[in-house]
Amino acid sequence: MGRAQYTIRRILQAVPVLLGVAAITYFLMEAMPGDPVSIMLGPSPSAAQAEAIRAKYGLNRPVWVRFLNYLIDAVRLDLGQSIYYKVPVTRKIAERLPVTLLLLASSFTFAILTAVPLGIISAKRRNKPTDHVSRVVALLGVSTPSFWIGLMLIIVFAYRLDVLPATNLILPWAPVGSVDGADSRVDVLAAAGRHLLLPTLSLGTLQMAALTRIERSSMLEVLGQEYVKLARAYGVSEFTILRKHAFRNAQLPLITLLGLQLTSAIGGAVLTETVFSINGMGRLIITAINNQDFALVTGTTLVFGFVFVVGVIVTDLSYAYVDPRVTFEEAE
Amino acid sequence: MATTPDIENEPSPDREFNEEPAAEQPKARVGWQYTLSQVRRDPTAMSGLVVIGVATLVAVVSFVDGVLFAYLAGFGAFASLGVEQYAIAEALWVSPIAETGAPILRPPAFLTNELYPGEPGTLAHPLGTDHRGRDLLVRLFYGTRIAITVGIVSTGLAMVLGMVVGSVAGYYGGLVDDALMRGAETLYAIPFLVLVIVFMVAFGRNLTFAMIGVGVATIPTFARLIRSRVLSVREEEYVDAARAAGVRDRNIIMRHVIPNSFAPVLVQATLQVGVSILIVAGLSFLGYGAQPPTPSWGQMLSNSRDYMLPNPWFSIWPGLAILATVVGFNLLGDGLRDALDPRINN
Repeated sequence: MGRAQYTIRRILQAVPVLLGVAAITYFLMEAMPGDPVSIMLGPSPSAAQAEAIRAKYGLNRPVWVRFLNYLIDAVRLDLGQSIYYKVPVTRKIAERLPVTLLLLASSFTFAILTAVPLGIISAKRRNKPTDHVSRVVALLGVSTPSFWIGLMLIIVFAYRLDVLPATNLILPWAPVGSVDGADSRVDVLAAAGRHLLLPTLSLGTLQMAALTRIERSSMLEVLGQEYVKLARAYGVSEFTILRKHAFRNAQLPLITLLGLQLTSAIGGAVLTETVFSINGMGRLIITAINNQDFALVTGTTLVFGFVFVVGVIVTDLSYAYVDPRVTFEEAE
Repeated sequence: MATTPDIENEPSPDREFNEEPAAEQPKARVGWQYTLSQVRRDPTAMSGLVVIGVATLVAVVSFVDGVLFAYLAGFGAFASLGVEQYAIAEALWVSPIAETGAPILRPPAFLTNELYPGEPGTLAHPLGTDHRGRDLLVRLFYGTRIAITVGIVSTGLAMVLGMVVGSVAGYYGGLVDDALMRGAETLYAIPFLVLVIVFMVAFGRNLTFAMIGVGVATIPTFARLIRSRVLSVREEEYVDAARAAGVRDRNIIMRHVIPNSFAPVLVQATLQVGVSILIVAGLSFLGYGAQPPTPSWGQMLSNSRDYMLPNPWFSIWPGLAILATVVGFNLLGDGLRDALDPRINN
């Protein structure tokens, strides 16, 4: 099976998962106490008013009909109307999704760039002080609530030292005129970088720690392989062994974990956005839930599921680039 | 080693002719006794166990303290010792929820903060007070109860359900497997926190549904683990033998598959308790957990957000409590993995 065929098959396999995500959210929201009509019209609407609203939003039809209609609309990229914001759900998501993706991208970049060297050094110097330090850091990283790291960073860097901003995130694509003291795109990017630093550390620490642990153990396993011993016996330098023999082989478990980490990172983004008052998808879904905005909750969750599924497919496909031995025959 | 404890511990018929001392008999690598003996040798696991032990003790004491102090008080009356013992009992017991009129946002003992410059905290409130003058140490103490209960109950639920789903999926394969595993994948595709919050909004915004929600959302983790074990154990010859001997599927799963999955499940469960504690802290931080005035660590952190400038300690302590507890479970989990994984052992 070629790569294209495999890609298509993976995408088709994702369809039932997305259907499932939609179904779970839709029916959980359906089980929610409280009536969307009374939320829109206040506590005691007249019968005629209520009926009109029901008819307008199709609430008078059976739930499975509404679900099927929802799915058909979703395929046409219509996720319904947000009751709270009074705009289409897709518009609200289009506004918020880039912010969350930016946050996820920056924290994963931070995590990978720190975890890979840390893990390798740790494995190379197994049971030496460097290894112990990196293992303790990783242990603390996976044990610390990300939002608490955020609070501590705010206390230290925003309140005590007053060197980094804690709120009012500036986006790198913000118009130059809208940013205080910025005369050019470079200024805006610099300001955005400063604003992103603390949220990135807050969200990325957990990923960094988890990746460091897997990188270390995977590297240890590869370095214990016969072919590494053979290379060493031939007098190949340790650096060359690392670079040419061990590195790529050790990255497979890391890539698997990256895909799976996405779902916990999105959960973490909800908390990080709350701590740093960032208007992304995470705060959006919390607002939606707190205001019983049915369509917005379902739509947001569906997009989260979509991001996750895309992430997993991308990691699956990237196997082949890292490890030429991977053929798509045996892959699921 | 894929053997069951029953077979391994069976006395060998020619034991009396065997010159070798009994201690060299290979020990079964499954079961509680083996696990405990390995844990005792592993300093990492032991330190984790100590942390968990302390946290559990605190949790248990905070469960019974009301009864305990009432008993002390009652005891004083019965012994006709007058009000003295009652007074001692009352003086000792500090309610985690009552506002006692103590100064708010006090710093910890011997330290100062911006609200009280030149007026360091005292031992009356060793960790300081919160925004309502409640003692932070006492509230932290009571928060342990929620963290430990939620972590263990939700993990236990996920473990049992995950074992059922995973063993059925792995053993029967085919359509059953596909359906169950797609279901697990679907649950996994929704961010954990979002899934649990939506679940709680639908069924009830309280701690019980937080535990059930976290448990249900964790099922895929255990289901996958058990399924992969089942797939490998299913191919073992002794399972074929059992099947040929007419042992029923259910018994094969119960007697061979589950015992052989003991080590990885135990490791995963230990680590998962820590993860669940982190998630529930996050839920409480967002207001979906124990409802006020019941103290929980996440909720304390949420309250502290407005007072990070005047009294940063209010934010520091609950986080450290979470950190310490979760580190305990991670140490134990890591230690167990090292102790129980034969690959690392050898």
